[in-house]
Amino acid sequence: MAGTGVRVGVNYLKHYGKRAVGAHSDEDVLQTNNAAVVYDTFSRLKGGPLKLAQMLSIDRNLLPPAYATQFAKAQYSAPPLSYPLVVRTFRREFGKEPLQIFSTFSKNAAHGASIGQVHRASKDGREYAVKVQYPGVADSLRTDIRVLKPIALGVLGLKERDVAQYLEEIEARLIEETDYALELKRSQEISAQSTNLNNVRFPDYCPLWSTKRVLTMDWVDGVTLDKFADGPADQAQRDTIGQALWDFYEHQIHTLKLFHADPHPGNFLVKDSQLWVLDFGCTKQLDEGFYHKQFRFLDPTLTQDRTRFEAALSALDLVLLEDDSEKRARILALCENSIRLLATPFWSDTFDFGDVSFMQSIYEMGEANARQSQMQDLDGNRGSAHSVYVHRAYFGLYSLLNRLRARVKISLPEWIAAER
Amino acid sequence: METRNRILSAFSEHLREHGKHPETVFAFCKQIELPERDFFREFASFEAVESQYWENLVDHVVQGVETGAEWQEFSAKQRLLSFLYAFCEAALDHRSLMLSRVAPLGPLAKPPFLRGFERRFRAFAKVVLEHGIAGAEVAERGRLAALYPDALYTHFRGVLDFYLKDDSRSYERTDAFIEKTVAVAFDLIRTQVVDSALDLARFLIPCREGNPA
Repeated sequence: MAGTGVRVGVNYLKHYGKRAVGAHSDEDVLQTNNAAVVYDTFSRLKGGPLKLAQMLSIDRNLLPPAYATQFAKAQYSAPPLSYPLVVRTFRREFGKEPLQIFSTFSKNAAHGASIGQVHRASKDGREYAVKVQYPGVADSLRTDIRVLKPIALGVLGLKERDVAQYLEEIEARLIEETDYALELKRSQEISAQSTNLNNVRFPDYCPLWSTKRVLTMDWVDGVTLDKFADGPADQAQRDTIGQALWDFYEHQIHTLKLFHADPHPGNFLVKDSQLWVLDFGCTKQLDEGFYHKQFRFLDPTLTQDRTRFEAALSALDLVLLEDDSEKRARILALCENSIRLLATPFWSDTFDFGDVSFMQSIYEMGEANARQSQMQDLDGNRGSAHSVYVHRAYFGLYSLLNRLRARVKISLPEWIAAER
Repeated sequence: METRNRILSAFSEHLREHGKHPETVFAFCKQIELPERDFFREFASFEAVESQYWENLVDHVVQGVETGAEWQEFSAKQRLLSFLYAFCEAALDHRSLMLSRVAPLGPLAKPPFLRGFERRFRAFAKVVLEHGIAGAEVAERGRLAALYPDALYTHFRGVLDFYLKDDSRSYERTDAFIEKTVAVAFDLIRTQVVDSALDLARFLIPCREGNPA
């Protein structure tokens, strides 16, 4: 992963990895109440603004930890859609009411999703999960983002210029996320190409009862990954699930180059020692060129060759042409440290993600880098916007694995070994 | 009844086509080959015909939702929501007429031709509110409660106004508008907010009069 990746997404760790890190400053406590209020406001607005705030909090280490915690709650606590509106949506999408399609259909949502909610239904002895999108989300997303961006940036104390390309990338993904037809296609694609993975399962999707606004799949009974991780599972079970999760991401990123970019614990279920992957709303496709630029940093010999290392950093716009040699040196040092730490799991045969000191170091380095880059004027439009979701995926993955306390067998992608 | 319906459909057709009432009842009757006295036996004026037309629309929607399979289990809030969503669906067949007749007036106008529309909605709202009071969804507030149907009618006109201005895909923004405003309305009539506000108003008004400046 690229050097700036450290700073990016540290909030994700702060939230999901808090247990491991155990860092609680007084400021955190002070901000908690405030954060609840701000979160409340955003969650009422639903859809776009909430997701934007969530993404900013996760991807750029921009929100104070307490805010990040509140935003991360969104997945579980968005206010529900009324049943008559679900009926209305069904009539519009299928010309039929839920009970004219299914033999049972829960009036209340079984759980929320960020821009919709999930109902449980059954027909002919089969159980379904039916995700229904909030009306108007897709249409109002752009307007909402335009209106709320200045407010969000104001609250977070950011300059739009510095985050412009990241915001564009995030907006593009958010708009994709409102298209359930695309989600259906991606889900089917990824699951069809991931059948060889051990212990990774996907629900069957029902294209017949899916549209741009409604997505129907098999109901999966299981515990969410966070509950499993916090529960009494033994080490062997933890390793199995952790390995499944790791293999799934390696396969997507390095083979399919199309991946599930929202590693939220609510998107995974554990059932009979198998990992079920749900919710492909947020997926990211990597083009070949970017993929190579991003992942050549996994080559352990790269940082030893200064010319090659600098070229690799320039390719990702982490080092800019106008940087003088003194600035270059600082960036190189910063990135080298980050890479050495972040790539550690890749450079071992088996890595124990339960290792508290590893997460602690990432956390500390993230803090230090954030402070340092602000002080030393290294902020601004550096790095590639495509990295946002790669970082999000890896930080999410690391923190999930940490929470699982899993030991994972790891190998470097073959092309890296070959290039060496 | 047959004559009545014949008048109604010929009249609404004319209205859709021309955007205004026919010149005279005589001309209208001549066109549809109906003796004038038969027209006046059913309706006093074109205003009365149009009023009936809009009333029928509301009535049709109310009957549709009330006979729905899940109606009995629905709370007052769900009943009101169902009505509003069904109304928007039915309104697709009448949108052109609404755009020419209702949209220019704005949500607060009370034209004579909407009297039947209002009357039928209020009757529906009254039943919904009674259901809400029985289910403790709506606080019983004596005389104040008499204002609820007014408030709901104003809201309904607001929804209609929003719908007529809405240009989003499949009018999804209207759905969101209905969902959010009904949530707020029921939050207000369930809690004591309205009472407290009125109590404060009562306290402040005599206070100003009683303290000469």
